[in-house]
Amino acid sequence: MSLTTFIQHILTGVSLGGAYALIAIGYTLVYGILLLINFAHSDIFMMAGYFMIFAMATMPWPIAIPVVIVATVILGVLIEKAAYKPLRSAPRMSIMISSIGVSYLLQNLATYLFSALPKGYPTIAPLKKVFQLGPVSASLVTFLTPVLTLILVFILMYLINHTKLGMAMRAVSKDYDTSKLMGIKINQIISLTFVIGSTMAAIGSILYFTDRMSVTPFSGTLPGLKCFVAAVLGGIGSVPGAVLGGFIIGISETFLTALGYSTYSDAFTFMLLILILIFRPTGLIGETVTDKV
Amino acid sequence: MKLNNKKTYPMLSIAALVVLAVLLILLEINKNTFGMAVSILQKSAILAIVAVSMNLLNGFTGLFSLGQAGFMAIGAYVTAIFSIPTETIDSVYYTGGLAPWLKAMKVGLDVLPGFLQISLGILAGGLVAAVFAALIGIPVLRLKSDYLAIATLGFSEIIRAIISSPQMDKITNGSYGLKNIPGFALGLDFLPAGIGTLLVPFSVAGLCIGFMVLVIRSSYGRAFMAIREDGVAAEAMGINLLKHKEISFIISSFFTAVAGGLLAMFMRSIEARTFQITLTYDILLIVVIGGLGSITGSILSAFLVTAAKEWWLRFFDTPLVIGGVTIPLFRTGFRMVIFSLLLMLVVLFFRRGLMGNREFAWADLLSWPRNLSKKASSGPKTGKGGKKND
Amino acid sequence: MTEQTLVPVLELKDITMQFGGVVAVDNLSLQVHRGEIVALIGPNGAGKTTAFNVVTGVYAPTNGQVQFKGQTIAENFPRGKMETLYAGQNKGVYTAKVWPTPDLITKKGIARTFQNIRLFKNMTVFENVLIAKHMNMKAGFFSAAFHLNGREEEQMRQESLKLLEMVNLLDLKDEIADNLPYGKQRRLEIARALATAPDLLLLDEPAAGMNPQETHALTAFIRQIKKDFDLTILMIEHHMNLVMDISDRIYVIDFGELIATGTPEQVQNDPAVIAAYLGVDE
Ligand SMILES: Nc1ncnc2c1ncn2[C@@H]1O[C@H](COP(=O)(O)OP(=O)(O)OP(=O)(O)O)[C@@H](O)[C@H]1O
Ligand SMILES: [Mg+2]
Repeated sequence: MSLTTFIQHILTGVSLGGAYALIAIGYTLVYGILLLINFAHSDIFMMAGYFMIFAMATMPWPIAIPVVIVATVILGVLIEKAAYKPLRSAPRMSIMISSIGVSYLLQNLATYLFSALPKGYPTIAPLKKVFQLGPVSASLVTFLTPVLTLILVFILMYLINHTKLGMAMRAVSKDYDTSKLMGIKINQIISLTFVIGSTMAAIGSILYFTDRMSVTPFSGTLPGLKCFVAAVLGGIGSVPGAVLGGFIIGISETFLTALGYSTYSDAFTFMLLILILIFRPTGLIGETVTDKV
Repeated sequence: MKLNNKKTYPMLSIAALVVLAVLLILLEINKNTFGMAVSILQKSAILAIVAVSMNLLNGFTGLFSLGQAGFMAIGAYVTAIFSIPTETIDSVYYTGGLAPWLKAMKVGLDVLPGFLQISLGILAGGLVAAVFAALIGIPVLRLKSDYLAIATLGFSEIIRAIISSPQMDKITNGSYGLKNIPGFALGLDFLPAGIGTLLVPFSVAGLCIGFMVLVIRSSYGRAFMAIREDGVAAEAMGINLLKHKEISFIISSFFTAVAGGLLAMFMRSIEARTFQITLTYDILLIVVIGGLGSITGSILSAFLVTAAKEWWLRFFDTPLVIGGVTIPLFRTGFRMVIFSLLLMLVVLFFRRGLMGNREFAWADLLSWPRNLSKKASSGPKTGKGGKKND
Repeated sequence: MTEQTLVPVLELKDITMQFGGVVAVDNLSLQVHRGEIVALIGPNGAGKTTAFNVVTGVYAPTNGQVQFKGQTIAENFPRGKMETLYAGQNKGVYTAKVWPTPDLITKKGIARTFQNIRLFKNMTVFENVLIAKHMNMKAGFFSAAFHLNGREEEQMRQESLKLLEMVNLLDLKDEIADNLPYGKQRRLEIARALATAPDLLLLDEPAAGMNPQETHALTAFIRQIKKDFDLTILMIEHHMNLVMDISDRIYVIDFGELIATGTPEQVQNDPAVIAAYLGVDE
């Protein structure tokens, strides 16, 4: 592998990783607060793909993008209100089943509405513009994704660490019951979490699908799984962890594919999950917590 | 009175079984006239095994595996490889041929009668799945139960990817899938040709579910339930959590793969796409509707849901024209939307499903009309072993 | 006196338990001898339950050693991140890591109850007790699954029934545990612990939430089971009447540290104890 191709792959990997990171944030935030693996998140991401297809059919991209983000946020919050909120006091397994139910519903709904055949993803012309950097060439989206990811993460980290709402979020994630007693409006915080998660998923979806060029009702499943693994890898509950995990998985997947092991790149993610669960279940930068008895 | 019941209820059960057997044999003989019913019954019996296996893990041990599709795929492919007749194997693997070592094994096994080869295949499929389950379980079952859900879901997707990968061409026939898998007919000389269509899936289902019921009713079953109720307390009662969770997970995966083997025989041809994650979700739907923690609920639900899906509610998928007006909603895919809404409905509003965590009992059935009238007059009353809505 | 009676049933040596920066138990040493009823008391958050959790294998101590009948059942020293974070004493004294899972501790003969009752809520009273017999079952998985161990199963059932009779819960045996009144649930939790046939019983606030009459009945109950089952008991309790009435010796801890020990009379008059309970600054 020459240096040029190496750099080329790094670039592709970082770009894919950026999209993964954005999706992983949604998983990690929801898990941090509700202790719920939000199985529907991957399908929110998939639906965002379809939203974009329909938005771009009627409007130019600078308008389509915010419309897609808003639509995705509405979907995310709606799901929370309809499927998770009624189960706040139910056993945790019920909420998990509910999230699977939503995932199942979204997939079936997408199949019904848009058919199971791949639908072409619209091209956002400027994003597809190819740039030449020395011997390396890549479209704008490749350069843009990691940069945008980092900017969004910094904004998010600022929000979490330096605002009142962010403090409330951290409190709820640390100790749900006590925060409730302290008068934090739990429902508001949970909604906020879904707003952030869905926003990130929508942006991630645009960046991801621009590179893939088509959407199917099952497009979300595998990336979603990988992004959850990314969140676990980094340390579930931690935003920087999710980003780190996203990049690691994106880069390793790109290299495995480049070396001709594309089938095994999925298996690799799974091996990574098992390894991390064996050696560091708290993730690379997660904290150890002992469950109180 | 009590003594009397002790005698009559088993008698009723035996009578019911005999009636069931007679009905099955009648259907079996007339299977050409009742094609639809036969095929639905076959599929229901197969899914009942998976549903009960899932319930053993989910409803009784409190663990959540989403690997059903993956374990079924393992069972299906192993069974298929064992059972595709050796004469036709080259036409099935027409691109690259079957791996020599597998071919040698098949040639070696040809000394056995066909149905024994198939049985071996089903057993081997179960064992392979059990080994995978054990290996995944060791790291994952120590941790919070959430991780099992995600690890098994990952496993299931990976298995599918590997099965259809070009590197596996000589074993799984890659993306072409496997065909020429023999059906359920036993093909024994002394039996009328074609016998087994219903008897095979039903007796295998009976054996598998019977075994799981025995486990649940044993001291191990109680230990599983204790873990479900409170892992910390169970451990303080001397129950080794990892060991018992492993046992439950292994049994569940074994029988899931056995059902996968039966599914291969039912479908006659399989491909990786058959074992998508939606298959797991379909089974979860069955278990949740039947009631987490109820074996009879899972069985009943397997039959009801399958019949509804494949038969009664088919019309949702075909355009509906009333008085010359086409109702817009009815077209391909609508049925599955209805089913996912049904699942959400049960999860959100009828969390106990059909049976809650109770089991079918003659006493309940026989006193049902009476209870119903009582209920009407004196409000709800929890049945024996029933619990308050949690 | 034989050797056996000299070795304490339970001995904690320099136990420190630190969660991140919080030192919940600080260099605690204590001994419980055969046949004693010993109380572990202290204000809320003093670290009593944490000490129980260390003994029963729920937590690995950060430093120190626990011995049961002379055998080490838990030992640890500050390692990894804790090496720098460790805020306790006796660093470097212990060198091994011994941390069996809680079920192994129970098998060795230590049983416990929990501060917040942890029954198997949706199972019957009888099943709750019967579960405890599972760990000593001789039949392997397959012989149990195929119900080939009928005699053993029958024996487990008989023993459980007998135990329920001894603790006066026999008439409630088919009741769902969650439906029992609170006091009965506490009693059932003790019965369930007894079903593991322990030598040492750890009770975490058995009288919590009980009125004086119930507490009085509980006192008699504890005495009774101690005699009937030949037990040694270590108990956490806030009801001082119960503690003073029943204990042979008392250990008092505050902020994880041992501040006093002795007979009920000695402890009652100890200024440090009075200060700790009244919250006087030292
Ligand atoms: N798993 C844990 N993680 C972090 N801190 C813990 C954990 N368990 C206990 N603690 C802390 O250790 C301290 C001692 O708690 P512990 O439950 O042992 O007190 P206690 O003496 O039993 O009090 P109480 O009388 O209220 O039951 C408390 O400050 C508690 O918050
Ligand atoms: Mg306590």
